[in-house]
Amino acid sequence: MVSVDRSLRLDLVFHALAHPARRAIVRQLSLGERNLSELASPLEMTFPAATKHVRVLEGAKLVRRRIVGREHLCRLRPEPLKEAMLWTGSFREHWEARFAALDSVLDDMHVEEQSRSKRKTP
Amino acid sequence: MTTGLHIATPTDTTIVLTRSFKAPRRLVWEAMTSPDKMKRWMLPPPGLTLTVCEVEPRVGGTLNLAWKSADADPVMTLHGEWTEFAPHERMVHTETMKLASGETVISLVETNEFTDTGGATQMRITQTYKSKEDRDGALASGIDEECYVRLDAVVAQ
Repeated sequence: MVSVDRSLRLDLVFHALAHPARRAIVRQLSLGERNLSELASPLEMTFPAATKHVRVLEGAKLVRRRIVGREHLCRLRPEPLKEAMLWTGSFREHWEARFAALDSVLDDMHVEEQSRSKRKTP
Repeated sequence: MTTGLHIATPTDTTIVLTRSFKAPRRLVWEAMTSPDKMKRWMLPPPGLTLTVCEVEPRVGGTLNLAWKSADADPVMTLHGEWTEFAPHERMVHTETMKLASGETVISLVETNEFTDTGGATQMRITQTYKSKEDRDGALASGIDEECYVRLDAVVAQ
């Protein structure tokens, strides 16, 4: 079933993003391709630790790694992030619409209250 | 004024919605608990109309809502009960949505908390679902959208 696949993919994406180091890596990669030591050094992380995090991101298909000579070059794959954003989209849209309606109910209540208090003053 | 909606999932079974409203707490509270106001902001799923909105705003009081479609009346119902009710501050209610067939669509506990934030009111809604699956299902499609898909399936039978 498509939705089950999607749910599993989202599990992987959100698990991958549920670590500050991996979010930092994603943020760095949003600026362009980086090799593993470029990713590791700003995080003050060992090379193996960075590799471990990159593997989790690869598993979620958030990162693609290619090996050029002795370099491991990592690149961000935007599709799963887009899917994760869409995933919250309809729930968000629904509540945003409701709260926008609530805003206008509150405006009306405010106007009503003001006109009522004006009527009271002679 | 920023009224941005913030959505968080602090645990596997919860969704927390935070939103500010440019109104005093008592007005927000009234809009959340009086049927005539609720009818205006509780937008129904596409193709459905809210037909029943009865609430007894007190501890032990019930909420009963129903929607109709072009084919069925009611097509979906919501039944719940308030378990906490501290006016202008905090309320907790249960809710179970069912199809006309009696099949439960979703069941959750909702807490509404109200805080003054300098001329505005911040409302925090915490929805607690029975399982991570239920929670993810609600987030994945939007509760109403999911209902709508399922209603389609029922109507097609």
